[in-house]
Amino acid sequence: MRVHRFTAGIALLLAAAVLFAVFYFKLFTVGSSGVKTIVVVLKSTNVRADFWQTVAGGAEAAAKEAGARLETVGPLKDTDAATQALQLEEALESKPDAIVAAPINDERVMGFLKRIQEAGIELVVLDTPLALSPQPAEVAGNHREAGRQAGRLAAEETDGKPMAAVLGDYAASTVSSEREAGIREAVGQDGFAGTFYVEDSEEKAYDATRSLLAAEPRINAIAALTEPAVLGSAKALKELRRTGDVKLIAFDSTLYEIRLLEEGSLDAMIVQRPFNIGYLGVKNALKQLGGSRVDKSSLIDTIVVTKINMYSPENQKLLFPFR
Amino acid sequence: MPGERRTIFPLKSIQSSIAFAFSCLLLLAIAATSLSCYRLSVDAVENNSRSYIKEVINQVNTNIQSYVDNMENISLLAMTNKDVKYYISNDSFISDEESRPYEKRISDLFQSILYTRKDIASIMVFGYNGRFVSDRRITTLNPNAKIEDQAWYRNARLAGGKSVLSAPHVQNIIQNEYRWVVSLSRELKNVDGLTADGIFLVDLNLNVINDLCSQINLGSKGYVFIVDGDGNIVYHPQQQLIYSNLRTEKIAEVTAASSGSSFEVDDAQGKRFYSVKDTNFGWKIVGVAYETDLIGYKSTLGRTLLITLAAVAISLFVSVVLSHRLSRPIRHLQRSMRLVEKGDFDVQAEVTQMNEIGQLSRTFNMMVAQIKNLMQEIIRTQENKRRSELQALQAQINPHFLYNTLDSIVWMAEQKQHEEVVLMTSALAKLFRASIAKDQELVPIRVEMEHIRNYLLIQKMRYANKLDYRLEFDEAVLNDRMPKILLQPFVENAIYHGIRNKPDLGTIVIRAMQRGGRIVFEIEDDGLGMTAEQLEKIRETGDGENRSKGIGISNVDERIKLICGPAYGVRIRSEREVGTCVTITIPKWPAKG
Repeated sequence: MRVHRFTAGIALLLAAAVLFAVFYFKLFTVGSSGVKTIVVVLKSTNVRADFWQTVAGGAEAAAKEAGARLETVGPLKDTDAATQALQLEEALESKPDAIVAAPINDERVMGFLKRIQEAGIELVVLDTPLALSPQPAEVAGNHREAGRQAGRLAAEETDGKPMAAVLGDYAASTVSSEREAGIREAVGQDGFAGTFYVEDSEEKAYDATRSLLAAEPRINAIAALTEPAVLGSAKALKELRRTGDVKLIAFDSTLYEIRLLEEGSLDAMIVQRPFNIGYLGVKNALKQLGGSRVDKSSLIDTIVVTKINMYSPENQKLLFPFR
Repeated sequence: MPGERRTIFPLKSIQSSIAFAFSCLLLLAIAATSLSCYRLSVDAVENNSRSYIKEVINQVNTNIQSYVDNMENISLLAMTNKDVKYYISNDSFISDEESRPYEKRISDLFQSILYTRKDIASIMVFGYNGRFVSDRRITTLNPNAKIEDQAWYRNARLAGGKSVLSAPHVQNIIQNEYRWVVSLSRELKNVDGLTADGIFLVDLNLNVINDLCSQINLGSKGYVFIVDGDGNIVYHPQQQLIYSNLRTEKIAEVTAASSGSSFEVDDAQGKRFYSVKDTNFGWKIVGVAYETDLIGYKSTLGRTLLITLAAVAISLFVSVVLSHRLSRPIRHLQRSMRLVEKGDFDVQAEVTQMNEIGQLSRTFNMMVAQIKNLMQEIIRTQENKRRSELQALQAQINPHFLYNTLDSIVWMAEQKQHEEVVLMTSALAKLFRASIAKDQELVPIRVEMEHIRNYLLIQKMRYANKLDYRLEFDEAVLNDRMPKILLQPFVENAIYHGIRNKPDLGTIVIRAMQRGGRIVFEIEDDGLGMTAEQLEKIRETGDGENRSKGIGISNVDERIKLICGPAYGVRIRSEREVGTCVTITIPKWPAKG
């Protein structure tokens, strides 16, 4: 009966080999198609939207580093919530491993983010803090710290006696309110002249600056949270010949703002690191897919750029995204 | 069984041994070749990849070099151009109005160069006399950018006539233009070749280098980066990460590495190879390739290895099946042989194939048939022999016995002993009738008992004062049957060898009894007994004295064994001066019906 035992042994071995082979091939095929797919949904994919282009660049860098497949989508205008919602839906249907989204603050967008979470797809939110539960991992500029940086700068420039006004866009904007809070923190209650909402209008900013300075001559620093606010305010200060006298501090950078900084109309810019936001966003998504926990909220430091350091190698890269 | 395990193949059947041996052989051979192939391929792939990276880096180097050479050539062109020299010369022989055509000519020249070269962003000359000319007709300089502060400007002045290549930077001297460029600048000398008149600038679009480097494919994760002589990064795909310390690059190692060398780094980011190449304008071009990419074939190779293993498994299986099929007829034959061993000669091994084993089976079948025939023949012969012997035995009534008996009868008749004469004659008649009767071979024991009684009666009359006898036949066995005239020779022996020569009275006791399904006869006398030699002689020839061709006791024994089996037969126990006892054992043949 040894023969039978031998045959049985061989059969067992064979079965094991076949099983192993099957599993291996299965794993292999899964492995090759199992390259992690990540969809990045930005607020804008407009080639002129330097910030988002750089975010996309960072995301690509992280994806390449990890050998993941990346797809970047986004509406042309960063206010086009309908398109973004649609793109989120498409992303959801394509069943990627993770979605990294910079959501526009909108009900439909939020709805899809919720559905993405429910579908079990890893979600990382970029740039904008969100009220979602469970709270997704977040990667954003440290807006409050940016505000503090601005406030501290204002205080330094005014020999420690700041009287700062803030030109914001909308009271509801989470980013703006974070920045504002940071400024208030840094300059203190005595040095804070108030926040004025000028929406996305250069003219309103211009008017606001003029009336502000007329009403409160002690104001020696203006923090303009958006580009229109900066442009309007700079124009007003120039006309009032208060440029340099009233410190103007901007957030984020655009070409117009850079020019203002070069000519001295703008004293400083608090610049985010969009490349890092995109990079960390994708990296965190990959980390979560890999099973390791990441910080719920990764805040990227901002940089203070003045006329003096704007052409340093590091800051050049930030101010003039290379394409 | 445990002892058998000592052999090389611990398996009993040929099939398993063959399968085992071939499997081992196959496995060993395939494993050895696969492994060595794998090692060789991995080495080859690695070497190829390394030389590939070097090749790629060289290519990048050549390309960048050609761009830089081109800029150099343009700068030489500008340097040797008379118009340029006059235009920026401090000599006042060209007034401002006169300078217009010069400016136009120079601008046209630059423009035509620019048309032919897509990689050049701008060409400009700045005279120390405050004049400047560019490749465009109308150029507005950025009022907020001071040329004197620009690195390329300062470095060119310091270099004193040699060309200077800048790191990539944003060129901001033209209003509203912020382009990433690499600048080549050079101080232009006066006609006398000693005094400096201005700075020449040619900007190379960084796109050119960027595209060049980013298009390089060094696997999915590999990349190319460039550092300048001081270790500052000229180009790196993840420059921003490095600036913000999210990533580190092995700048120190790269600066220390000589041109054409390569080194290996193994850290959290994975094992990777750095390949460094110096350019002749001070930059170092570095190619980084990850091991996982390089030996991406490794998985393919591993898969091949696996396929090989699967093939081995399949061939193993096939070999087992084949050997099983091959050895099956042998096993059939073996089984048949075992049956034959047990005595079954009706076995026929099935002949399925006409190969060696088929022929073997056929021969085996023929052999078994032959053996069977022979056996049957032997049995027949033996039977005939037994029968003829029995007949001979039965036929043989000793003539002396007859003569003596008749003598005795005559003697008794002369003595007028009528009754004795009648008794003896009738006994003799019965004796003869019994031995002549040929109808049946087996007779009831009762008949045999009567026969012996008649015989002994005659003998007793002859040896009246010498012989006494007792018949002790169990009632139970009287109806069973036995071969005819089985006992007479032994009784005869007992009388002639034991009793006749005994001085006083001898007694013969004949018993028949049943013992465990057998019938046992005992013929016991208290005669002279026999020596071993006599016993031997008796065994050979029966009573050798009166009969020259008597029936040997051993013959009777053999006959009984032949008919009834080895458990039966004749046993003789004899002792001098005590007597002899013969025991005959036969099977119990119950009475007919």
